[in-house]
Amino acid sequence: MIRLENVTKSYSTEVTALRDVSFEIAKGEFVFLVGPSGSGKSTLLRLMNRQEVPEKGSVWVAGKNINDLPESKVPFLRRSMGNIFQDYKLLLNKTVFENVAFALEVIGRPRHVIRQQVPAVLELVGLADKGDRFPHQLSGGEQQRVSIARAFVNRPLILLADEPTGNLDPGTGEGIMRLLDRINSTGTTVVMATHDTRVVNMMRRRVVQLDRGVIVRDQERGVYD
Amino acid sequence: MLARISYAFRETFASFRRNVTLTAAAIITSAVSLLLVGSTFLIQRAFDNLLTRWKGDVELIVYVRSDATTEQIQLIDDALRSQPSIIDVERLRYLNQAESYAEAEKLFAGDPGTLRLLTPENIPSQFKVVPIAEDSSLVRELGEQFRQLAGVKEVAYAQDVFDVVSRVSQFIRVATTAMSIILLIVAVGLIWNTIRTAMFARRREIEVMKLVGATNWFIRIPFMLEGLLQGLIGGVLACGGLWGLNSAWSGAVDDFNDTELAALVVSDGYVSSVMLILLGIGALAGAVGSGIAASRFLDV
Repeated sequence: MIRLENVTKSYSTEVTALRDVSFEIAKGEFVFLVGPSGSGKSTLLRLMNRQEVPEKGSVWVAGKNINDLPESKVPFLRRSMGNIFQDYKLLLNKTVFENVAFALEVIGRPRHVIRQQVPAVLELVGLADKGDRFPHQLSGGEQQRVSIARAFVNRPLILLADEPTGNLDPGTGEGIMRLLDRINSTGTTVVMATHDTRVVNMMRRRVVQLDRGVIVRDQERGVYD
Repeated sequence: MLARISYAFRETFASFRRNVTLTAAAIITSAVSLLLVGSTFLIQRAFDNLLTRWKGDVELIVYVRSDATTEQIQLIDDALRSQPSIIDVERLRYLNQAESYAEAEKLFAGDPGTLRLLTPENIPSQFKVVPIAEDSSLVRELGEQFRQLAGVKEVAYAQDVFDVVSRVSQFIRVATTAMSIILLIVAVGLIWNTIRTAMFARRREIEVMKLVGATNWFIRIPFMLEGLLQGLIGGVLACGGLWGLNSAWSGAVDDFNDTELAALVVSDGYVSSVMLILLGIGALAGAVGSGIAASRFLDV
């Protein structure tokens, strides 16, 4: 599903974020990217949805080299992926329903599809009765659920999560992980960058560990350390 | 498709409501600068009209001494009429002293000092001559001959006045054009800035849109519509202002209906086409300015 071949990316001459990184993620896999801050986890995610382009090497998604993708095709690549962030990135002036509907609106889905799919995905994330709340009326965990609903409403092939439990207490984080696990079990590939030891150890999935831009460990059913 | 169109319009109007002050500022600036651009067109046109009228009208005036005898005047008249190949005999006009004085009262209305020196008794009467010869040197030659005639006080060529007016008009044309270009740039800048501020306030929204796969045009179009609307509203205001200015001006010039100044009136047809141009410039500048402003935020 995702393949990186000898990818090097630096932000300036001094800072090299990734150095000659190669690895592959199969369809339906659940992969943790772990490592300290600045080790290149977020850069790896940003390469996968073409927020960044590598200097050397290539990034393949669903059989296509996305480095060669013309700028005008990038939106269509992104429609096959969902994104989740540590800070949720919800739109504060929109309700929960509108935040999720927004993802469908901007890709031109007709209204009857929106009316049907948004309640279904809110049900899935356990917020069926909170569609008309605003983000500030929700807890952190609930806000993250909204952002997962927004990422998943389009049934993407791939879900990219950047520290999704970083702002949550352990109990709430576990709830989020169970939700991601459920989404993964529908066949969606999940790539999650984290340094949350607890959730990695709890899940026992593939772990790719980075240190200063290099992969130092790639382990099936791994733990954080 | 319908969903996209309704989305674009909803976003446009929401943004209008959110940024009332900035929107008003952009509209007013574009209105003022478009009004100036329009006025430039009208001023240039008015001077062109005036010049054309002067060109095709009197170009030679033979002033007759106030003490000239009736025979001398008759002689000059005959001499002029004997040159049908150079002057338009049909349009040859003689203003006697009373008529000349009446004309002078208007011409020197703003110069009472000069007017006080003139009386219906000492003012020269005049022949207003319309040349038909294309070659102005022929006209000059004829004028020199008349200067020799008894009773002729002076021969004046409208060409000289024409040159002065022409230079003044040239200057006004350059000055007003420069001014309107500067103002137009200012207007585009302000609309651009309005949109940029609106976009900065919504950068989070734009980032989310980009990440869920909205195309750049999908994001850009509501902003361009907003700019287009601002430019268009500014254009409508400018048109209203221009119409008012032109009516006032036409009314004022009406008082000089029987003088050359009447040529300064611009026809309504021309005013209408200038208005259409203003609306076009307003809409285009607004949309393009916003489109450029938007592009800077789309690089996610």
